[in-house]
Amino acid sequence: MSGTSAPAAPTPSGEAAQIIDQGYRSYDGPRTGLPGAVRSVVRYSVRHTLGLGRTARHKILPWLAVAIALVPAVVFVGLAVVLDIDIIEDEILPDYHEYYDFITTALFFYCGIVVPDILVSDRRSGMLQLYLSTPLQRWSYLGSKALAVALTLAVLTIGPVLFLLVAYTIEGSGPDGFIEWIKIFVRIIVAGGAISAAFTAASLAAASLTDRRAFASVGVILLLLGSGFVTAALVEEADMSANLYAFDLGGISDELKNRIYGIEGIEPLGSEGPGPGDDFSPGAGRAGLSTTFVAAANLAWVALGSAVVWWRYRRLALSR
Amino acid sequence: MVETQALTQRFGSTVALDALDLQMQPGVTGLVGANGAGKTTLLNAMLGLRVPTSGSITVLGFDPQTAGQRLRAMVGFAPERNVLPDEMRAVDFVRHLSEVQGLPRSEARNRASDTLWLVGLGEERLRTLGTMSTGQRQRVKLAQAIASDPKLVLLDEPTDGLDPVQRSEMLTLIGQISRDFSINVVLSSHQLEEVERVCDNVVALDAGRLVACGPISELVGAGDGITLELVDVAEPAGSVDAVEAALRAGGLEVRRQEATLALRGAAFEELCDRSRDAVAAAGARIRRLDTRRRTLEDLFEDAPR
Repeated sequence: MSGTSAPAAPTPSGEAAQIIDQGYRSYDGPRTGLPGAVRSVVRYSVRHTLGLGRTARHKILPWLAVAIALVPAVVFVGLAVVLDIDIIEDEILPDYHEYYDFITTALFFYCGIVVPDILVSDRRSGMLQLYLSTPLQRWSYLGSKALAVALTLAVLTIGPVLFLLVAYTIEGSGPDGFIEWIKIFVRIIVAGGAISAAFTAASLAAASLTDRRAFASVGVILLLLGSGFVTAALVEEADMSANLYAFDLGGISDELKNRIYGIEGIEPLGSEGPGPGDDFSPGAGRAGLSTTFVAAANLAWVALGSAVVWWRYRRLALSR
Repeated sequence: MVETQALTQRFGSTVALDALDLQMQPGVTGLVGANGAGKTTLLNAMLGLRVPTSGSITVLGFDPQTAGQRLRAMVGFAPERNVLPDEMRAVDFVRHLSEVQGLPRSEARNRASDTLWLVGLGEERLRTLGTMSTGQRQRVKLAQAIASDPKLVLLDEPTDGLDPVQRSEMLTLIGQISRDFSINVVLSSHQLEEVERVCDNVVALDAGRLVACGPISELVGAGDGITLELVDVAEPAGSVDAVEAALRAGGLEVRRQEATLALRGAAFEELCDRSRDAVAAAGARIRRLDTRRRTLEDLFEDAPR
């Protein structure tokens, strides 16, 4: 700290006491520039979305989402310990890739209810104008916000599965050998990161289009749920091309996760593929898509979401 | 400090800034004009938040469009709008904005507290912003603008919503910031008396056009005509009207506010003589006759329409 100091009379111990002037003063020390600004916005936004440093009512929804994602993992690990069974080999408890079913619920909840606030509140309050009067530019502001959302989503997509891996390993039901362990670890990180990226882009895109938090929430939920039902109906009921699954954000990111774990897509029961007369089974038939197509579709969601956000913010007038 | 050349900003068919040529000198500069005069637009142009339709602007030697990031690290800004997140503590808000302005974390934490003490909110620094009064929130906005020790601070209507006592304290604080810490200030306001009180320089805008620009000591304060306050006696009725008409007929410039006439257009002695004659002829009575001081309001009155 660059305060001024004035020596005072020696203390009985012989050391010189000092009175530190804490007043406002000039500062000519180092400045952190754009990286420091980005770090601060990311840190603030993560704390804001998780309700840290805010009143209790702001903590309820984000931590409810975390609980939805994490509590089943805690229960499964508890069961494994209590029942003393080889939980994966015996197919009693879910494998790592199967646990994402629990995470998806939390993701939908978090993206729909919590994420829109991260952009909407800045636009509504005028904080956006204040941010852009600093070294931040529109792209770096949006990048900071996206990074904050992706990090909090990664808590949901990576955290519980990583917890399972560590707990299963400690309990003795983990992967066989170090190489297998690393493989699973990398899959957890990559799959979680990919899902986070797609959901971040899509939910920020919906949040960028309206200044009403409620509308943004409805938009995100419609995008996540509606796209799944519509594409499944078109492919499996109207017998249209399976490539339409690319428009199902939840489904295509789930499929990418399956491919990362080396598992092919869901097949309809008792058939080689979807067709007229099959029971309606949302998501069935994605197995026919190539891994390249699945990865490209996920990338397209990220690119499309980012493009919508950038288009909206490039045109956004701060004030006259 | 700030220089523009033919700076023009249009919004559709509306001309917010009309070919402005101006130079702002160091110190406290008052940016005055009615609502809609273009003050906020000019501040936004200084920050590089808007691309000018035409013309150029440099701030602290930088072009805000091409060197905006570097420039904005040296500029503090307090917008007119209420931009404070209600649930955040004052010290956290100031610290966060200081970090975004480029201060290291530990320095931002120390300076946030010090700055809040400077603006008179030391005891209130741990309160959430939503529980603060309008005056306190204006001080927090000022604190976040100066906490990173900028070279230039842009304050958009910093006394908006304040009562007279709070307004006076805020103006004193702004003067202190410039005087004691050598921070240049651009103070946007539609309150002319505020600008006259605290500013060294003035830029006056009217409907996007430049009305005046320069040191305030050269633009206002000099003797400029007389003020003639009359007693509007019942007999003869309309005596003030008659005095006004007579003086206008004599070619003087007359501005009337109830029974007070501001007269310009001739030397002081001649104005006195002609006022005396007009008052005598109309049968009115003089309550007060005084030399008149040129004000910022005159700059706007004298501006070509």
